[in-house]
Amino acid sequence: MSNIKIQCIAIIGKMNNPLYIKNFSTTHPDLKYHYIAHTSIDVIEERVSTSPEASDTYLGLLYAMEDLAVYGYLTNTRVKFVVVLSVPDAVIKNSDMKSIFRKIHTAYINQVCNPFYNLDGKKSIVSKRFITAIDAIGKMTGEEVSISSP
Amino acid sequence: MSVLPAAISPFFTALAAGDDATSTASTALTTGGSSKPILVNESCLEFLMMEMVDLMYRTTADSENDKESVFYKLEVLGYQVGQSLVERFTRDRPRFGDTLDVVKFICKDLWTIIFKKQIDNLKTNHRGVYVLQDNNFRWFLRMSTEGGGAEATKKAVPYLWFPCGLIRGALANLGVVSVVIAETTVLPQCTFQIKIAKS
Repeated sequence: MSNIKIQCIAIIGKMNNPLYIKNFSTTHPDLKYHYIAHTSIDVIEERVSTSPEASDTYLGLLYAMEDLAVYGYLTNTRVKFVVVLSVPDAVIKNSDMKSIFRKIHTAYINQVCNPFYNLDGKKSIVSKRFITAIDAIGKMTGEEVSISSP
Repeated sequence: MSVLPAAISPFFTALAAGDDATSTASTALTTGGSSKPILVNESCLEFLMMEMVDLMYRTTADSENDKESVFYKLEVLGYQVGQSLVERFTRDRPRFGDTLDVVKFICKDLWTIIFKKQIDNLKTNHRGVYVLQDNNFRWFLRMSTEGGGAEATKKAVPYLWFPCGLIRGALANLGVVSVVIAETTVLPQCTFQIKIAKS
């Protein structure tokens, strides 16, 4: 498993409102990742509308810029996960990215099952458990990390 | 008052999620903790349902004439649980093609998860109205009154309001805005009518 360095994890709600954006890098400011997440929305929607037959949740590489690669994932409930990586030397396998998105999805599902969380509201997620789960995913550098219990 | 339904919901999500042994098995394996799937006693869920309907009647002022409030409370509870259930159980599925696919998912997969059986009959007029018929509604199986048929049917109606909310929440989280009403003519049969808003 190649050494993947996650720079940013962004979760965008179904109304295209930002739910949670976390910056793991030290080189780029937060605003840059907000901008990247925003442009990712357009790319995701374009990709979904042009290929309705490809009904997969994992969307793969959305686009690449300078030293960053952006990967997307769309759930059945229209929630978008965006992961930004710094481009490594080795090739990134689809299975690695899928497992990262799967962990993010698990953390998101646990958050949604919280009865005090209003799905229809447009506020960002502030739950500590969710934040620690995302931090754990972001800090992973290619070794297997156990998923938090559902 | 608003805290109370919020406190009941997690029990439902845990119970309903636990009913489906295969999905909990897959999530339990990845934790690396206990390898046995989490199973939940179905009687607990039924008892909780009974008590919940009773609770809504007790805590509503003038509940005899104000059935709307009881309906609203039960339905909103079901709405939240439906949203969470759908979030959890559409995880590994491919994306839905259209509204009919979404309704079919609810009839087959969601109903199997909660009631261990599928909807028996699905009718549609292809103009946004779907009728789901369950000939052996699981929560009605043990209901009866001394008065017999008609009286039992009237008393059983409030127990359908929570499933109404469940369906509406499931549809809403998959992007379909709808109104759901339920009716029953003869126990244990019941029908749910889904009206989908024109987009």
